[in-house]
Amino acid sequence: MIERVGIFAGAALAAFLSITTLGRADTVSYADAVTTLAKGCGSDIKRFCNGQNLGNGRIKACLEKNASKVSPTCTSTLGSVMTSIAQRQEAQASVFKVCQHDISQYCNGVKGDGNILSCLVETKRVDNRECNQAITDAGWR
Amino acid sequence: MAKDRGNKMIVQGLRISVALGLLFAPCVASAQQLDNSQIMSTLAQMKSAAPAVDVALLVEEANANVGKGVAALPNWSKLSELSQLIVEIDFENNSTAIEPESYRTVGLIADALHHPDLFRYKFLIVGHSSATGSAKHNLELSQKRADAINEALSTTFAVSPDRLFSIGAGEEWPIDPGHPESADNRRVQLINLGLLK
Repeated sequence: MIERVGIFAGAALAAFLSITTLGRADTVSYADAVTTLAKGCGSDIKRFCNGQNLGNGRIKACLEKNASKVSPTCTSTLGSVMTSIAQRQEAQASVFKVCQHDISQYCNGVKGDGNILSCLVETKRVDNRECNQAITDAGWR
Repeated sequence: MAKDRGNKMIVQGLRISVALGLLFAPCVASAQQLDNSQIMSTLAQMKSAAPAVDVALLVEEANANVGKGVAALPNWSKLSELSQLIVEIDFENNSTAIEPESYRTVGLIADALHHPDLFRYKFLIVGHSSATGSAKHNLELSQKRADAINEALSTTFAVSPDRLFSIGAGEEWPIDPGHPESADNRRVQLINLGLLK
């Protein structure tokens, strides 16, 4: 019985890790995110959102306002693109917090965010998986 | 997500010109496919002797010299000494709406500005038009278009607004002065203005 619980826990952990990894694999650059938006929604934007701009959520608001008319591809694209932009922003905002321990351990005295990042990336001893992953998710490799 | 599919678009959407970037980026060739690291290595090169630029003075000079050109004006001429690149961002006709085909270019700029290597710097977006239409209208429209890029970067892509400045040059600084009506003159300059104070 104990063994079985162990196997179950192991399977659950494996499933959890694979889900987490999948979620992380979705972090894409801003350029790739909006390229997807242009491909999936470009014709709808031209049709329904003439003169509207990318800034201040206006394209998003316009496509949502015309939800009954825009293509289903565009509707699902819009959702996933907005999510991936938000994920990238979160990842970038979290790096220096997640890596704080490694920074004080290996890059103590290094000045400037760019230099600290280079130090982290170059320091092979940074063995904190979360810090490594955060740098990858931020797109800073 | 569509990571490789944008390559074709990048060739059409993002041209870098040798003319103005030459001083600081001798390895940059025209009509070259650009990626994030290339944008960054071009923009991150900052000379310690780089001149300080006052954007309000640029606006003043441009408005006082409509139809006469800006390249030789005291404040505008300083811009040539700064690290920069030129990109093509297409807009709807006579509008400030960025064409979806050019979203990628704006996204590439956002990726670069969000890299820690460029965190400390502020940037000037300069909009340029060709000489089709009246000089005054072109100056106004290019200012609004530069503002639209600024707005997209600072809202959709969450680049801190205190790092971004935008200005229109209208038709006053053609890259191809021999052919002022050429479409090549429609372009956007992204200039590193130096350290955030």
